[in-house]
Amino acid sequence: MKLFTSAIAIAASLYGAQAFAWEATEGRPYEGQTVNVLAVKSSQFEAHEARLAEFEEATGIDVVYDYVPFPNMKEALTTEMVAGGDYDVVSVMDQWVQSLQMLMEPIGPGIEAQGTDLSDFPAAHIRHGMLNGELIGLPVRGHVQLMFYRTDLLAEAGVEPPQTWEEMVTAAKAIQDNTDASGVALPYGKLNGQNLMVWMNLLWGNGGDLFDADGNAVFNSAAGVAATETYVSYLAEEIVPAGSAVFVEQDAVTSFKQGNSAMLPVWWWVRSQLSDPEQSTLTADQIGFTALPSVAGADRTTFTNTWIFGVTAESDNKDAATEFLGWLTDPALERDVLMDPDLSEVVAVHMSNLTDAEVNERWGGMHQAAADALATADGVEFGDNWPRIVLILETAISSLASGEATDVQATLDKAAEDIAAIR
Amino acid sequence: MQDRLLPYWLLVPAFIIVLATTIYPLAYSFITSFRAWDLTKSRRPEGFVGIDNYIYAASESQFLNSLWVTFIFVITSVALTVVLAMALALLLRRKGSMHTFTRIILILPFAMSPALIGVSYRFMFNPEFGVLANGLGAVFPALQGVPWLADPQLAMGILVLTDVWHWTPYMTFMCLGGLASIPRETEEAARIDGASNLRIVFGIILPQMRGVILVMAVLKTIFALKMFDQVVTLTGGGPGTSTETLAYFIFNVGFRWFDMGYASALAWILTAIMMFISIWYVRMLLSERKMATA
Repeated sequence: MKLFTSAIAIAASLYGAQAFAWEATEGRPYEGQTVNVLAVKSSQFEAHEARLAEFEEATGIDVVYDYVPFPNMKEALTTEMVAGGDYDVVSVMDQWVQSLQMLMEPIGPGIEAQGTDLSDFPAAHIRHGMLNGELIGLPVRGHVQLMFYRTDLLAEAGVEPPQTWEEMVTAAKAIQDNTDASGVALPYGKLNGQNLMVWMNLLWGNGGDLFDADGNAVFNSAAGVAATETYVSYLAEEIVPAGSAVFVEQDAVTSFKQGNSAMLPVWWWVRSQLSDPEQSTLTADQIGFTALPSVAGADRTTFTNTWIFGVTAESDNKDAATEFLGWLTDPALERDVLMDPDLSEVVAVHMSNLTDAEVNERWGGMHQAAADALATADGVEFGDNWPRIVLILETAISSLASGEATDVQATLDKAAEDIAAIR
Repeated sequence: MQDRLLPYWLLVPAFIIVLATTIYPLAYSFITSFRAWDLTKSRRPEGFVGIDNYIYAASESQFLNSLWVTFIFVITSVALTVVLAMALALLLRRKGSMHTFTRIILILPFAMSPALIGVSYRFMFNPEFGVLANGLGAVFPALQGVPWLADPQLAMGILVLTDVWHWTPYMTFMCLGGLASIPRETEEAARIDGASNLRIVFGIILPQMRGVILVMAVLKTIFALKMFDQVVTLTGGGPGTSTETLAYFIFNVGFRWFDMGYASALAWILTAIMMFISIWYVRMLLSERKMATA
């Protein structure tokens, strides 16, 4: 936390809060250089690539994108880190930043020279671009969680969109009593910690946390046990689809898209899939959203997910790569993609766009809801051992969900022991 | 002189390729298994830690669990594959157009990628839209809505099923090859003496197929020990850790925990198990040959 606070302070002092519009460095000093980008497969990044002509014309820099599907991205970055490769710019998910720290180069001075306004990034996102007090990447893609719901099914069941987890259970039961759909689609299976995303909100809402200030596991506290029992109880109450014990996030999304579930707490970027006729049986007017439910009486929470773009330590064209980062993180570029009528991209990481009236008008207020959620979202501190911690925690949740383990306290205690025993 | 050395020179390219792609990585990983190497902190292996990585493995519950899961998987998968392959081969060894057609169809599962098999079965056993889950539910109403992959035992059963489905055709062809080498005269003589089909299979065919069955079992054991693809795409090692095989665990240690020293040690433990089985198999074969020529 101390590190984070100091990092934000450095960022704020370095960059001020003036509005930013990217401009190419005068004299095109990097003309003729090529910047190779390794990015996770994403329609948002493809939209950026489609707009490269503006950047290439202004700077004389050629930019070449290579995409890797998400399930293989970490391995691709690991290979890049160990073997050294041809990429100058890489996209890295927040949870991987610490473990891939040797891959990244500090970019603070170069970004400062371009006048990028770091205060326009929500704290929950920009914190993942800081490592040991230095800026090593800028957020380009960031997510909050929202509760999507079927407007028609909730109306048929005579219930309002739930604002608390308790209300979600009541609404889910009413929906199941009045329609053929399952109440809510949730992931309990193992894949990149996806079964922790909702559970974490229950943990925070119950007043718990993963670790204390000294880094000791505290998720096995009374609050952690209560949160876990609540999360697992949704299976026993049968308000989730059959087989949810092994659902990963995509299974839950598919269940909603196929009309088999009425509610879906998930990342906001999924919105673009939900009414895509090639992927979904739903139409836009069947889909509503609200902030993620909270524990009654507690503040709203959301897990966040951030993809940063940084320059590789092995890059031969670091200055050109930094120039590219300046363009890539220009709020105007993000807004252009958000407002493109031919696209269905909702993702934004600049507060100026999240609170923009026209953006909110186009997306039904989704971005303001995200801005509100981000205002209080603290995010999670991902340390060196986070990938291993995730495996231990997601296995614990999966075991309880499948019935392989039944004693919540004992299972969480064992997970805490395993985490403490990490070498 | 030149003629005498020529064969060795001709072997050099192949030797270099084997050295670069097999010997060097094996030696490197063996040395790494005695070193600390946290990939998040260093691009290169760090100091030697003796046999610490091996000692740690012996006391670590996740490794011991993966060893047990692998053992269960190997035993069931090998036994089912060998028995089914033998049975299918006995059915298909007759000549005829239907038998030929069936043999051609039979090879299709083996031609499929294991990762794709895992994805396909994951879809097929989805309780909401899976064709197998719903088909079984339609035929046996008690099975309607059974969360197949959500139950630890059922998930292991389906993992075994995918592997048996994948390997049985190949093993069937091995059996057909073995059956073709058995002289028909002995079988015909037994039939004339009034032996039943069952007696012929157990008394005449299977004893003569012993060598082939042994080869099949050893090969299948080695392949089963390496089970990885379907675990990734079908179960992700879950629910819990119920299908976390040793190969999958090694992958996690190396590429998620980034503990390359420990991952190397685990990989060598797996290699040692496979080497032990291979040596045992070669000895069995040699002793069989000695008995045959005695």
